Amino acid sequence: MIETYVPLIVMLVVGFGVGFLFMLLSEWLGARRTTDGKQTTYESGMIPRGTARDRFSIKFYMVAMSFIVFDIEVVFMYPWAVQLGTLGMTAFWTMFVFVLILFVGYFYEYKKGGFEWD
Amino acid sequence: MYNAVVNELIGSLGLIKPELALLVTFVVVIIADLIFKNNKVNLGLSILGTIVSGIFLIGMSGTNTSAFANLIAVDPFSEFFKYLILISTLIVLVMSEFSEELHNRDVWMGEYYMLVLGMALGMFLLAGATNLIMIYLALETMSMSSYILSGYTKEIKRSSEASLKYVIFGSLSSGIMIYGMSILFGMTGSLDLYAIQSYLAANGFFQPAIFISGLMVIAGFAYKISAVPFHFWTPDVYEGSPITITAYLSVASKAAGFAVLVRFIKLTFFDAAGSSDESWIMMNSIPWDMVLAVLAVATMTLGNIVALWQSNVKRMLAYSSIAHAGYLLMGIVVMTNTGLMSILVYFFFYLLMNFGAFIVVMLFAHKIGSEEMDDYEGIGYQAPVLASLLTLFLVSLTGLPPTAGFIGKLVLFGAVLDSGWYWLAVIGVLNSVVSLYYYAKVVRNMWLRKVDNGKGTLKFSIQSQALVMVLGIPTLVFGLFFGPIMRWAEHSVRIFLGN
Amino acid sequence: MNWYNIVFYLFALIVLVSAAGVVFSRKMMYAAFSLLFTFFGVAGLYVLLNADFIAVTQIMVYIGGILILIIFGVMLTSKFTDLEIKSGTTGTVQYVLAGISTIIVAAALIIMYLNVDWVQNPVPELESTVKPIGILLMTKYFLAFQVAAILLLLAFIGAAKIARRK
Repeated sequence: MIETYVPLIVMLVVGFGVGFLFMLLSEWLGARRTTDGKQTTYESGMIPRGTARDRFSIKFYMVAMSFIVFDIEVVFMYPWAVQLGTLGMTAFWTMFVFVLILFVGYFYEYKKGGFEWD
Repeated sequence: MYNAVVNELIGSLGLIKPELALLVTFVVVIIADLIFKNNKVNLGLSILGTIVSGIFLIGMSGTNTSAFANLIAVDPFSEFFKYLILISTLIVLVMSEFSEELHNRDVWMGEYYMLVLGMALGMFLLAGATNLIMIYLALETMSMSSYILSGYTKEIKRSSEASLKYVIFGSLSSGIMIYGMSILFGMTGSLDLYAIQSYLAANGFFQPAIFISGLMVIAGFAYKISAVPFHFWTPDVYEGSPITITAYLSVASKAAGFAVLVRFIKLTFFDAAGSSDESWIMMNSIPWDMVLAVLAVATMTLGNIVALWQSNVKRMLAYSSIAHAGYLLMGIVVMTNTGLMSILVYFFFYLLMNFGAFIVVMLFAHKIGSEEMDDYEGIGYQAPVLASLLTLFLVSLTGLPPTAGFIGKLVLFGAVLDSGWYWLAVIGVLNSVVSLYYYAKVVRNMWLRKVDNGKGTLKFSIQSQALVMVLGIPTLVFGLFFGPIMRWAEHSVRIFLGN
Repeated sequence: MNWYNIVFYLFALIVLVSAAGVVFSRKMMYAAFSLLFTFFGVAGLYVLLNADFIAVTQIMVYIGGILILIIFGVMLTSKFTDLEIKSGTTGTVQYVLAGISTIIVAAALIIMYLNVDWVQNPVPELESTVKPIGILLMTKYFLAFQVAAILLLLAFIGAAKIARRK
């Protein structure tokens, strides 16, 4: 079964290889003319302002925390979904209870206004 | 193909009715809090759910079996601890009603009840868990709630600090525990305690490895019962937490920790062939009794000696609860069913007197605004009823007649002496003598200092005094008529030992 | 040395070097980014152990979730990137004590790993471990599965409680 990962490894190697190759190539072949525009931070075309090292709002933490909880829920769902055909309705109700318990958390957060940005 | 398994699962659901009742209450309280936003409703529902759970528990009394493919055992041993947990939960819920630090508009009481119920559920599962995964999950369910509850009044800096310390030490000890579990799994290929035991018995093992991994797992439990050297969090957390939670942690959480510790040691390393009820033999004579004896001595000695220097009553009670964990550990050291019985008896009495002491300290703190021992001077004449009751609880904690604490200690030391651990018993008694000093200091301050300090009498509500009475009267009565409790504990030492 | 071993040592090297990076970085941000490679390397090791589901979980939960949370945590703190990690008391005594205890723990673990007769069940030819895990979660570990949901719910409520100011 390890063999099934060979394409993945090839992809990783090629991915890293290409990245390094192009870095080196531009270092060797590229022209070196510095202008103001090249020296600034790349911000998708926006002109950067202020410092990037600013404090973030606590709201991001709440979002990340909710994300992890539901992320783990999804991880549990994956093996369930794969074998649902074997176990049938019992497995369905098992997952129903699982999701229901976590849905209480979602409902709680929603009611408390945890998903409102302001 | 899976029908048989599924049917067994459905059958198992009937065995966890008390847990289900708690779970339903937990969810209902969350929803009710969002809809009604009324504390009285939350409190009422929580108490109702706890009582319903208790009724289910009574209905299942005497069951001795295993549920969910050996994930948890439903036996008289876990039942006893479940009663302790339920009684503690009820007391905490009622006690919270009187707490002023919680009834501040900044404190979210809805979540408070949910977390207390969640913690109770975790402890219920921990008391019966017989599978390493289940032990870990139950322990974390309990810990997760207690981490948050210990920092509940977070506007107080102390409280946040307590919570943070608790989380950091807690994660570390969970990490150590789970590492030990993984080594055990690697050696035996199973997570089921019964299967681990039979594998070890059949195939033999490399002794040091079993010893190290067992020790690592026990470290995780020792953290919960705040045994030395895993006690560092205890004083700060006990001082910083809301006092209701301090009391809950020192009784219920400790009870669950003891339940899982006893069960783990007995089920995993027990030599079924070579032992009887009267003496448990451990496989290949791994000296678990010696390890626990060292743990017990270190715990009670350190707890008592440091308690001597405390000037804050809450902190003093924190150290004294460390010391009591040490006494209770002696009951496991002897590895007999009598020892186990003495733990149960002691725990029941400890519940009464410890909760009692904490409630009185809380009520005093409301009136005099302090938990310092020096501020207790002359309080005996300002609040004679409560001060007398506190005196009773402290006498009981010391273990002097005619209180329940005396009977608890008598049974415990009796069990230790019976099995020939004389030096351990001597150290235990010496420790009790040391503890007399700091308990007596509070009593002296209350009654013998500033006899007429001129301050008027303190008024307490009838309900709060009644709550203390409810704990105080049994503390006195069980000191004289302890038969029923002894019999109950005797019936509850049966641990489900596998099919 | 076949290619399996080469891949194993490659991942082991990634884990060790990046873990050293986490410990020895002076700046929080660098430590957090080193941790990314540690998690990744561990995921690789899981794959080599035939634990494909755990490997995917490792990447999804640890790299995709926990690491992000750690980085948020660093960013929520003021002056995060320039924050030098210092501990209060690091003198010779601490170094010696820490060194000795590390050596003792390491020696105990090495002795243990060399001497224990580890259970090595024959690895069944499986296309993927996901299916058996799914069946176990729904049957034998049904209760553990539901308790995990309760644990997550408690964590969720707790996080909401802690994150919000009053």
